[in-house]
Amino acid sequence: MNDPELTGTWTALDPTAPQRRRIDARVRGWLDANAISLAGEWFRLLKINPIARLGFAIVAAALVLLATPLSWMALAAM
Amino acid sequence: MIATAAMACTLSGEWTLASLFKALSTRFGGDSAALEEDAILRLVDAARTGDRAAGQRLYRQHVDHVFRTVRGMLRSDVDAEEVTQDAMLTVLTSLHRYSPRPGTRFVAWVTTIAVNTARRRFRRRRPTLFDPNDLPRIVDDAADPERDADGTRQRSALLSALARLDEREREIISLRYGSELDATEIARVLALEPANVRKILERARVRLGASIEALLSPDGEVL
Repeated sequence: MNDPELTGTWTALDPTAPQRRRIDARVRGWLDANAISLAGEWFRLLKINPIARLGFAIVAAALVLLATPLSWMALAAM
Repeated sequence: MIATAAMACTLSGEWTLASLFKALSTRFGGDSAALEEDAILRLVDAARTGDRAAGQRLYRQHVDHVFRTVRGMLRSDVDAEEVTQDAMLTVLTSLHRYSPRPGTRFVAWVTTIAVNTARRRFRRRRPTLFDPNDLPRIVDDAADPERDADGTRQRSALLSALARLDEREREIISLRYGSELDATEIARVLALEPANVRKILERARVRLGASIEALLSPDGEVL
């Protein structure tokens, strides 16, 4: 058998329509399930990870506490 | 294929005329026709910027190649399905890491991922990808109503002939005829010398062709 004949024979290994549908569905399902926005990622992290939630709350509180004096200092320096 | 495109339209909740045209063009080969390398690279660039349609076209261009390549290397259709889906997911989520290399097409990068996925997944499970003494599971395939009698015979003969090659020969010949890579690309995918690949390929091609012809002959094993 020559090259083109073997290439033609190899198409016998192509997936059948049901096989192809299964592969397509699983790949699409995974991609859709993981197509989450950045905001969604944050909310999901807060929802499933209490330690991260605590960390997020501490960082947010620190930012609020620091923002006011820093803004005063910035205004005073101007 | 049309069902795939139709399902994509349904999932997005939009049954526009454009979606219907896309589904029909897919069904009639519009999207399955092989694209030139330049067009493939443009799709890669578009997909990297978040163009989902470009990603879908890249997927459709390569998924059958990946399946028929790994099917030549693995034991069963189920294994090939699992490796194909994992490999295609890796391809679609790793496009930012792809950088074109002179003399190597995008399909070679896709094939490298498929080969690595197959090795990683199945070497853990058993010592070799494919036991040469174990004939492939062709009974289920033969019973598949999707294939006609000639297609089933050809498939059975090819799988039986592949089972007679050693693992290296089977990998190389699957990359040659499944993904249609040349010897230089195969050498890069498998980290071998091109001259060595050519030698193994020539030997395996002769053995495989002779086996298939013998199996398909009137007194062959494949009925």
